[in-house]
Amino acid sequence: MSETDRTRGISRRHFLNGAGALTAAGWIAGFTGGWVLRPRWAHAAGPIKMGIATDITGAIAPSGNANWQVAQFAVEQINTAGGILGQPIELHLEDTASDPKIAVGNVRKLIQERKVDVVLGGITSAMRQAIKDPIVNRGRTLYIYPQLYEGQECTKFLFNTGPSPAQQCDRLIPYIMKTLGKKRFAMPSANYVWPQLLNKYARKVIEANGGEVVFEEYYPLDQAEYSATISKIKDGKVDCVFNTVIPPGLQPFVKQLYESGFQKNGGVLSCVYYDENLLNYHPAAEMEGLISCLDYFQAVDDPFSKTLQQGYAKKFPDTKYLFTAGSASTGMYRGVKFYEEAVKATGGKLGREEVAAALDHAVLKEGPGGGAAMVPGHYHAKMNMYIAVCKSEGGKTRYDVIDKADMVDPREC
Amino acid sequence: MDFAIKFAFDILAFTSVMVLIVLGLGVIASMMGIFNFAHGELVLLGAYTVYLCDEYGLGAWSGVIAAPIVVGLVGLVLERTIIKRFYAVPIIAMLGTYAIGLVIREIVRGLLGGHYKSIPEPISGSFSAGGLDFSIWRSFVIVTTMVVIAGSWLLLSRTSVGLRVRGALENPMLARACGISTARLYALTFAFGAALAGLAGALIVPLYQLSADIGIRFLVQAFLSVMLGGVGTFEGPVLGAVAVGAMAAGLPWVVIPVLADPLVFVIALAVVRLRPQGFITVGRL
Repeated sequence: MSETDRTRGISRRHFLNGAGALTAAGWIAGFTGGWVLRPRWAHAAGPIKMGIATDITGAIAPSGNANWQVAQFAVEQINTAGGILGQPIELHLEDTASDPKIAVGNVRKLIQERKVDVVLGGITSAMRQAIKDPIVNRGRTLYIYPQLYEGQECTKFLFNTGPSPAQQCDRLIPYIMKTLGKKRFAMPSANYVWPQLLNKYARKVIEANGGEVVFEEYYPLDQAEYSATISKIKDGKVDCVFNTVIPPGLQPFVKQLYESGFQKNGGVLSCVYYDENLLNYHPAAEMEGLISCLDYFQAVDDPFSKTLQQGYAKKFPDTKYLFTAGSASTGMYRGVKFYEEAVKATGGKLGREEVAAALDHAVLKEGPGGGAAMVPGHYHAKMNMYIAVCKSEGGKTRYDVIDKADMVDPREC
Repeated sequence: MDFAIKFAFDILAFTSVMVLIVLGLGVIASMMGIFNFAHGELVLLGAYTVYLCDEYGLGAWSGVIAAPIVVGLVGLVLERTIIKRFYAVPIIAMLGTYAIGLVIREIVRGLLGGHYKSIPEPISGSFSAGGLDFSIWRSFVIVTTMVVIAGSWLLLSRTSVGLRVRGALENPMLARACGISTARLYALTFAFGAALAGLAGALIVPLYQLSADIGIRFLVQAFLSVMLGGVGTFEGPVLGAVAVGAMAAGLPWVVIPVLADPLVFVIALAVVRLRPQGFITVGRL
């Protein structure tokens, strides 16, 4: 490659790193036509074009930016190691702006103008539903969805690399019931599809284990006052709150629950999407004892995961966007690596059918929280799941991992 | 009995939050005829001031004290530079203040990186009375709200400044002819309303969390309160806020929560339809 190309590649990269801080702040990505991150060298067959469609701006920008940073990190690792069979990966970013209406147009650009070979991204279920058709059906392109979600997504050419309800509940709920001895559950929830379907599954597991769901209730996403709910929790003698309320409604709920003395009197608060990022949304004392179940925690004692964190911290020093499980970051890393494995298996062929066929049984030996393996024919991955409990000490919070389940089956499709 | 006390406390606590937010909005709407759509963002600025003070290690109390001063000054500058051009055109004023609010909100969103920040209560924990636990900060908010209502009412009804403000509201021409500087009064009134918004933001942020949308959450209900109570009086918006706050906190006890929010609007709009002037139509301040 020529010297001018080299300098351009580097300066773009530097520009992007700098711009990352600004886009992170939600200031400039809105009026750009997407980003390209070029590899540092060329290959006769041209680069592999990987499209990232994630929420750089809008309400869930913190998660989207974490996703984009993890994608850059994973792709840089692959490119530094010589690419996929010598072919480098070129990253294309489009902002889905936390808004499905905007996203559809931007995702079409990835497909029609940039002609990417694969799209990774989408965080909320509403986003996945909105962009899967332009990608998979009309766009005839492979789609990898990285977030933990409510399950039941069995579209051909759409691969899910985050945990399913079975993976989050099958181990956690029996643990809460048998080890901690809690039997009476409350399910306060935000009113949208993920809590509804997750609760449906969790209820089955609770009842199969001889527990009882005292109430299941849905709130507007920004509800500010929960005294009625707290009273039901007290009157119903609930001993475990299985929470799927999300911010901004979550903080007042958790505060009122804490003030009511629920945890002090032995109650357990469980929140299966809570990662290290989200702990900071609350005063430390209110998080004490919170139980979460995810595919990775930073406290997981695994040499490869530790190296990953160090590499990420080196690439993005002092970043506001942590490499965690709750914001689809681990799923994003896995998605990029699964794709790498699949393309290796096809011998460098990038056709959708060939790659999907290889992706169907791809295996990762290592990853955040350990390896993962696609379950052939089921579009979901087996992965290790961890149960962690939050400890607060001197105003700081951390997760202690208390249980690990190896290669849990997603039980989807 | 225990239940009744606890229920009353919870309703009162949320109603106080609502009243605090509406107070500044009501003062500006009633005394100046301006519907300030940037009010939510003035609340946000109050909350953000507490966050900054906390961040720089000055402690949360200094933030609570600084917030009304800082936001009051911001209000003064806004009035002198922008709002004063809107007095003749109240409809444009809504759009203009909305634009100001949008600018403030998006700047703060950028500064926060889109994250939520938790702000600790200056005094956390709870106290026991008669075998029941009450949150200290919620109690503090209730007491402060009552003090602020009483103080504002005394200021407007019992002092000469209040008299001049009311005079300027009643008949600006005549007030000017009497040697009252209405321009200065309006600036002071707007700054006062902004300071109340700042105080509200500082007091409520430990109950929720700091995010760019903290003000927006309450703005629509605050406007509903002003409509319900009626513009042009001090007591009207306060009573409106009491009604909306009590309904918003009380309805989830009797209907499913997703229905409670729309129901507040339905009831309030029905009342407004029956009493377009608001609760208070006689005995203006």
